[in-house]
Amino acid sequence: MRRLNAITAVSLLAAASAFGQAAGTIGRRIADARPGDTVVVPAGVHREHLRIDKPLKLVGEPGAILDGGQSGDIIDVTAPDVEIRGLTIRATGIDLDKENAAVRVSAARVRIEDNVFEDVLFGIDLKEAPDAIIRGNRIGGKDLDIARRGDGLRLWRSNAALIENNVIHDGRDAILWYSTGVVVRNNRSFRCRYGLHLMYSDSVTIEDNELSENSVGVYFMYSKDLTLRRNRLIRNRGPSGYGVGLKDTDSYRVEHNLFVGNRAGIYLDDSPFTHATRGEIRANTFGYNDVGVIFLPSARGNVVSGNNFIDNLEQVSVQGRGELRDTEFAANDRGNFWSDYVGYDLDNNGVGEFEHESQRLFENLLDREPKLRLLLFSPAQQAVEFVGRALPAIRPEPKFFDPAPLVRPVSEAGAPRNQAASAWGLALAGVGMLGVGAGVLALAVPIRIRHAAGASLAATATGGVS
Amino acid sequence: MIEINSVTKRFGRAAAVERVNLRVDPGEGVALWGSNGAGKTTLIRCVLGLLPFEGTIRVGGFDVATRGKQARSLIGYVPQELGFYDDLRVGQAVRFFGSLKGLSIRDADGVLEPVGLLGHDGKRVRELSGGMKQRLALAIALLGDPPVLVLDEVTASLDACGRQEFVSLLERLAHSSRSLLFASHRVEEVGSLAKRVVLMEKGRVTDECPPDALVSRLGAANVLHLHLPVADRPRAIDLLRGSGFSPRLNGVGILVPVPPAQKAGPLRILTEAKISIEDFELLNASNTPRHDSEDRS
Amino acid sequence: MITLAVQHAPPRVNTMWRSTGILALRELREAIASRWFLLYTIAFVALGLGVSYVSAAGTGSLGLSGFGRTTAGLINLVLLVVPLMALTAGAGTIASDRERGMLPYLLAQPINRFELLLGKFVGLSLALLACICLGLGGCAAILAWKGETTDPASLVWLAGLSFGLAVCMLSVGMLVSVLARKASVAVGTAVFLWLVLVFVTDLGLMAGALAFRLKIETLFFLCLGNPLQVFKMWTLHEAEASLDVLGPAGLYASDTYGGGLRWMFAGAMAAWTVLPLAAAGILFSRRSPV
Repeated sequence: MRRLNAITAVSLLAAASAFGQAAGTIGRRIADARPGDTVVVPAGVHREHLRIDKPLKLVGEPGAILDGGQSGDIIDVTAPDVEIRGLTIRATGIDLDKENAAVRVSAARVRIEDNVFEDVLFGIDLKEAPDAIIRGNRIGGKDLDIARRGDGLRLWRSNAALIENNVIHDGRDAILWYSTGVVVRNNRSFRCRYGLHLMYSDSVTIEDNELSENSVGVYFMYSKDLTLRRNRLIRNRGPSGYGVGLKDTDSYRVEHNLFVGNRAGIYLDDSPFTHATRGEIRANTFGYNDVGVIFLPSARGNVVSGNNFIDNLEQVSVQGRGELRDTEFAANDRGNFWSDYVGYDLDNNGVGEFEHESQRLFENLLDREPKLRLLLFSPAQQAVEFVGRALPAIRPEPKFFDPAPLVRPVSEAGAPRNQAASAWGLALAGVGMLGVGAGVLALAVPIRIRHAAGASLAATATGGVS
Repeated sequence: MIEINSVTKRFGRAAAVERVNLRVDPGEGVALWGSNGAGKTTLIRCVLGLLPFEGTIRVGGFDVATRGKQARSLIGYVPQELGFYDDLRVGQAVRFFGSLKGLSIRDADGVLEPVGLLGHDGKRVRELSGGMKQRLALAIALLGDPPVLVLDEVTASLDACGRQEFVSLLERLAHSSRSLLFASHRVEEVGSLAKRVVLMEKGRVTDECPPDALVSRLGAANVLHLHLPVADRPRAIDLLRGSGFSPRLNGVGILVPVPPAQKAGPLRILTEAKISIEDFELLNASNTPRHDSEDRS
Repeated sequence: MITLAVQHAPPRVNTMWRSTGILALRELREAIASRWFLLYTIAFVALGLGVSYVSAAGTGSLGLSGFGRTTAGLINLVLLVVPLMALTAGAGTIASDRERGMLPYLLAQPINRFELLLGKFVGLSLALLACICLGLGGCAAILAWKGETTDPASLVWLAGLSFGLAVCMLSVGMLVSVLARKASVAVGTAVFLWLVLVFVTDLGLMAGALAFRLKIETLFFLCLGNPLQVFKMWTLHEAEASLDVLGPAGLYASDTYGGGLRWMFAGAMAAWTVLPLAAAGILFSRRSPV
C-alpha cells in the first residue's frame, strides 16, 4: 500500500504543473473574487482549466460548459468550503499516469452538485478531502478500452463523504480508499468495471443504489462495519463478476437487496475475516443469477436467513476444495425461501416440515468442473440429476442445508421491486409468431373450387379432349 | 415412340430383364405377355425411369436415363393398384397430378368425365371401389393427353365385372394415335387392345405375334371341369359337341377345353338345356402361366 | 368420345422450382392433416404454455423476471421435442411412401427424384415452422399476458433457431428415411438417433471431460459437433450477448470468437442441414423406389 501511496503523490505533482498557463475569463473572475463570493459561469463553452484556492461558489448558468480540450485536469480545488454547481465539465486529458480529472479536490467540505461530466478520464477525485457532498451529478467516462479508462469517482482518505443521487457510467471504478464513514445513497452506476469498490474503508453505508451491467456491482476488500441495503444489483456479469463480492471483510450486513441476473449474486471469500464477528445476509432476493451465493470454503461465520432464492441456475455454490463450515442458513428458526424446495408446510407456520438440502449431482459436478457448465440447459443435465436422485449410492453429500426453509417467498416492504417493462413487445412477438404459424396453415388449406363450375369450364377448355 | 435398345436389368447377379429390344411406334399398341417373374413389370419400371439399367430407352426421343422428366411427361402410367394419399379427394388428386404435369386446374378437372368419375370428385380416394380407383388412375394417366400410355397389369386387382368394364373403357380411349405399352396375362385384354404381342420369359423376349395367334396358341390352355349327374353326361357331351366344343369324359365329370373368351360358354349351354351343374372348376391344362387372379374367377 | 390430336406438342415440363413447390405444398397438407402434426403441436403448445405459466406464476409477486427459468425451460423443451418431431417426420416420409407403394407411382410422374426429396423437405419444414411458431407464439402471448418481461427479441431468436434445429433434424431424418426399407424401422432409427443426440453424446462428453481432463476449447469444439448444443449455445449467445452463463468454456468462446460465433453456429447448422440432405439425395437417386 505504501508503494501505491507514493505513486499517487507523484502523479499529483505532475497534474499540478498543468496549471501553469494563462488564466481565461472564468479564471480571472475566480482570481478577482473574495472568499465566500459566487462566481457565475455564463452560458457558452469556456475552454479553461481552473484552480479554486479560496472558499467560493462556482455556479454555472444553464448551458455553461467548461471544456478541457482533451488535456490535463479541468478544476483543481485546493481551498475548503468550495461549491461547484450546475456546470457541464467535459473533455479532460487521457493521461492515466497523470490521472487527468475533471474535478480534483484536496480540501474539506467541498460540495459538488448537479453537474454533468462528459468525456472525462477521472470524474471527481477527492484527496484527503473530508466531509464532501457529491450529489446529483452525472459522470460519463471516455469511450476507451477499459484498461485505459479512469475512475468516475475516487475518494482517497476522505472521510464522512455523502455521495448521493449521482449517475456514473462508462468509467472504470467508483472507489473508496481509506475513507471512513462514507454514505453512498441512491446512485446509479452502469457499464463500469466496479460499480463501487471499497478498499480499507470502514463504517460505510451503501443504500438504495442501482448497480447494473458493471463487471462487479460492489466489491468490499479489507473493510469492516459495512451496511449494504435496499440496493439493486442487476446483470453484473464480468468474467469474474459478482453482484457483491466480499474479501477479507468484517462485520457486514447485507439486507433487502435485490440480485438479478448476475453471474453470481454474492461472492464470499474469507469473510468474515476475523471470526469473532458474523456476516449477516438477510432478506435479500436472489433471482435468476447463474449462482445465488458462492462460498469459498474459507468463508466461515455467515448467517444467511430470510432470503429468497429464486431460480438461480445454482442456488448456492461451494467452490474450491473443502466444505462449507460454520455457516447458518436460518436465524430464529426461520430459514430462506428456496424455489426448488420440495417440502410442504403441515402446521401452516410458513416453515417447511423438512430441511432443505442441496444434493444435486450435476451441480456437484459443476462445482468441481466448472467447464461442464457448457452443458447446462441440456436434457442430459436433467438426466444426470434424475440418476442422482434415483440412485442414493452416487448421490453427493449435501453441500449445505437450511433447517427451516420458508414455503413462501419473503416479500418485505424494503425489498425493491424490479422495473416492470412493457409487455407489448412480447405480445407483439407472440402475435407475430402465431401469425406465421397460422399463415403456414392457411397455405395448406386446399383451395376449394366449385366443382360444377370447374368441370363445365374444363369440358370446353381442355385441349385435345372434346 | 418407345425405343428399347438392348436393355438389361440385374438385381444382384440375377437378370430380371436381359438384352431386350423393343420398339413401339406412334399409335401402336404392344402387349407384354408372360408369367409373373417374366420381367414385364421390371421392363415397365425401366421405361418409366424408376430403375437404373444397362442399355438405352428413349421415349419420344428423350433418353429415360438422362432426360427422365421429359420422357415421363410423354407417358401416362397406370399401375396395377393405385397407392397414394388415401385422404385426398378425387378432385384434389387429379389437380395435384395435373399440376405436376404442368396443367392448370381447369385442364385437370376435365379428365374425370371420360372415365365416368364426373360427380365423384368430392370423394376420398380410400372410399373408392377398386374399379373406381383404377379409373381414377387412368384419368390421371390421361392428364395432359400424353402420347404414350403405359399400363402394368391394370386389371389384376379387379373382379371379373370390373375388369370387363375397365377394358372396354380402355378400348374406347385407346384406339387412336396413342401408343400403348401394357403388361398383361389376359388374352381378352391383349386381343382387344394390342396390335402386337411380345412374349417374355425369364427376362427375355422369346417371341412376337399378333394377338389372334396368341389366342389360338393359348386356346387350349384352360379346361373346364364340370361335375354333372351321371345320367346327364351323354346328353351334355352331345350338346357341347354341337356347339363346337370338344368335351371328354372322365371319372367324375366332363372336361371341356375352352378358349379364353368363352370360358362360361359350356355353362350357359348346359344351363339352357336344364342340365344341373353340381360343381365346376377351371384347370390349367398346359404349362401356361399360373394365374392367381384367374383362379378366383 | 375422345379424339386425339395426331401431332403432340413438345412436352410441357414444370421447372424444378414449380415441381418442388407443388410437392412441398402437397407434403405440407399431408403433414398438417396427419395425426403426428396435430399431436406434436398440441404437446408442444401445451408444454410451452406450461413452462411459461409456471415460470411467470412463481415469481410474479416479487415483480421479478429474467432470463432464468422461462427461457431455460423453453430451451429445454425445444431440445427435447423439436428434434424428436423433426427426426420422426423426416424418417417417416419417404419410407412410408415406399411401404405404401406410392413412391414408384409418384416417380412415374414427370418429376425427378431430387425435386421429390426437396419438395418433401420444404413441405415438412413448413409444417414444423407452423408447429414451432404456434407453440412459441402461444408462450409469448401467455408471458405477455402474465406481465413477464422476457426480451421479445430473444424469444423470436429462440423460435428462429428452433426452426433451424428442426431443419437440421429433418434433414437427418430424411437420410434415415431414404436408407430404411420399412417405415417402422425408419421411425425407430429416428428415435434412436434422437436419444443419441439428446442424451448419449452429452453424457459421453461429460464423462470424457472428466476422464480425459479435456481442455475447454476442445470441449467447446466437441459441442459444436452436436446440432442440439449449437442451437442451445446460439440461442444463449443471442439472448445474453455472451456465453458466460455457460462457464469457462462459454466465456472462452465469447472472448475468443465474439461476433464470429454467430457464423460458426450458422456454419455448423448449415452443415447439419446440407450434408445429410445431400447424402439423402445421392442415395435416393441410386436406390430403387420399390
